[in-house]
Amino acid sequence: MRPLLDRFFNATGYLAGFFMVGTLLTVLASILGRLHPVFELPGADAYAGYCMAASAFLALAPTLRRGEHIRVTLLLNQLPAAGRHVLDVLCHGLAVALSGALAWFSIRLVLQSREFADISTGLDATPLWIPQLGMAIGTTLFAFAFLGDLILLLRGEALRDAASSDELSHIE
Amino acid sequence: MDINITLLLVAALFLILASGVWVGLTLTGVAWIGMELFTSRPVGDAMAVTIWGSASSWTLTALPLFIWMGEILFRTKLSEDMFKGLAPWLERLPGRLLHTNIIGCTIFAAVSGSSAATCATIGKMTLPELKKRGYPEHMALATLAGAGTLGLLIPPSIIMIVYGVAANVSIAQLFIAGVLPGLLLAGLFMGYTMVWALLHPGQIPPAGPAMSFVEKLKASRNLLPVVALIASVLGSVYSGVATATESAALGVVGALVIAVLQGGMSLGQFRDSLLGATRLYCMIALILAGAAFLTLSMGYIGLPRHLAEWIGGLGLSQLQLIMSLMVFFIVLGCFLDGISIVVLTMGVLLPTIEKAGIDPVWFGIFVVLVVEMAQITPPVGFNLFVLQGMTKREITYLAWHAIPMFLLMAVAILLIYFVPGIVTWLPGQMVG
Repeated sequence: MRPLLDRFFNATGYLAGFFMVGTLLTVLASILGRLHPVFELPGADAYAGYCMAASAFLALAPTLRRGEHIRVTLLLNQLPAAGRHVLDVLCHGLAVALSGALAWFSIRLVLQSREFADISTGLDATPLWIPQLGMAIGTTLFAFAFLGDLILLLRGEALRDAASSDELSHIE
Repeated sequence: MDINITLLLVAALFLILASGVWVGLTLTGVAWIGMELFTSRPVGDAMAVTIWGSASSWTLTALPLFIWMGEILFRTKLSEDMFKGLAPWLERLPGRLLHTNIIGCTIFAAVSGSSAATCATIGKMTLPELKKRGYPEHMALATLAGAGTLGLLIPPSIIMIVYGVAANVSIAQLFIAGVLPGLLLAGLFMGYTMVWALLHPGQIPPAGPAMSFVEKLKASRNLLPVVALIASVLGSVYSGVATATESAALGVVGALVIAVLQGGMSLGQFRDSLLGATRLYCMIALILAGAAFLTLSMGYIGLPRHLAEWIGGLGLSQLQLIMSLMVFFIVLGCFLDGISIVVLTMGVLLPTIEKAGIDPVWFGIFVVLVVEMAQITPPVGFNLFVLQGMTKREITYLAWHAIPMFLLMAVAILLIYFVPGIVTWLPGQMVG
């Protein structure tokens, strides 16, 4: 099951990268628009924000699959193997609940924005449910990724090959 | 407000964090409990709206772009060029090539927002080269550990953007405010290295073969594109031509141009930089999302206001307040990463800072300096992790030799306290 999941989440990772490029392009467009009105893209600022949000939410699950989200592992690493397993299962259980709630209410947000026809207050006047879809999809995948990890843990399988600590450390 | 329930919440926060639940999710969970207890507002919907609002805000867009810029440059031949270009000029200084660490980090910090990336990029080249030439290993590691943290203080800086968004301070002003303290700290590191070298003359190997001025210039010509990139990114922010976000976008384009001109960027490397940046940003975004919700919840609980009143009632002088906060942050920094520290505390501390009459820009630089200290304190110090990965040395060995750098940063904090102009003068000169 793991290789298939990894391939699927890799694909969402690429999609997140696509929106990162989108963030860059919309910001560049707003710069060009300031230089010459021909390039003017009304509401470019808002589009950059939507792209950024989509990129972040879609990357949640693939980042988790690579074990790169930040957690305090001080205690986990000190415990003997059995204790570590129990605590890790508890952590994953709590994470499933929290990410599940986040996913549930993100989907609700999309449905409500659609129902009440919420429109961005910026120049872009986008119906908000469209960019909010990225959040709903990303957080849902995130919750499923946690659930998958929890199942793997309970079955006693390894979650991932040793994560590249190299990448992790660039956060600061 | 019920003080017991609040204390219980804080205890729950640290307990859940310590047990290893992901930081962003922990913040969300504690915020949820707090709102459930203190309001009748539908919690889940408030959470979704708050997180959406913070995740899609325009001010934040500088963050992923600066991260991407750093990831691109990290994958270029820059570290090699940096050593080759700097070494010939530094042979005559006491401490000789040890200064390549400090100046190299200072320059790379001006194109990268991360101290760990700065440390890794510069160390990748300098550590083996210094070892080959017989420099004492502990000094090579100490200077790198210390100077690597400049990645946070010298703009662009990831943590400054996080602080700016959390404290509602202009990111452009913060960036410019970090320039002089960054150079000051680099100067302190170099001064220390020179004094050490003069006290231990036997341990510094002799200088390499002398080069003529023209040869030196030739060796450094590959650094010109980077200097141009720094000048355009910082110059555009300083002159007010571009916002922080716009300068970040220009920075990404500039970094791509440099990478392509060097002939070092394949499609695969482009993809790696893009996906690496996406995941790095995502890690931070999850924490920021949790923090946005926690800040909302804290507002309902009234904790920030009450804390401000309580601390105000203690009658601390500004210096006492700053020093106690420094100790508090350093202790937190032993267990948490800097971004988590900033988002966790700023939502609560901001009213206190305002009440004490402390300039939020100045406080931002102070926080960044303290987080830099946290980077090299065990058990959780990101720069120590990077160095551990590169040298396979014990983290205690690395931390021990980094102590002088830690003390120099404390000196820098005292200096900016007694001479606040180091921080506030340059942003005051900005256009607009």
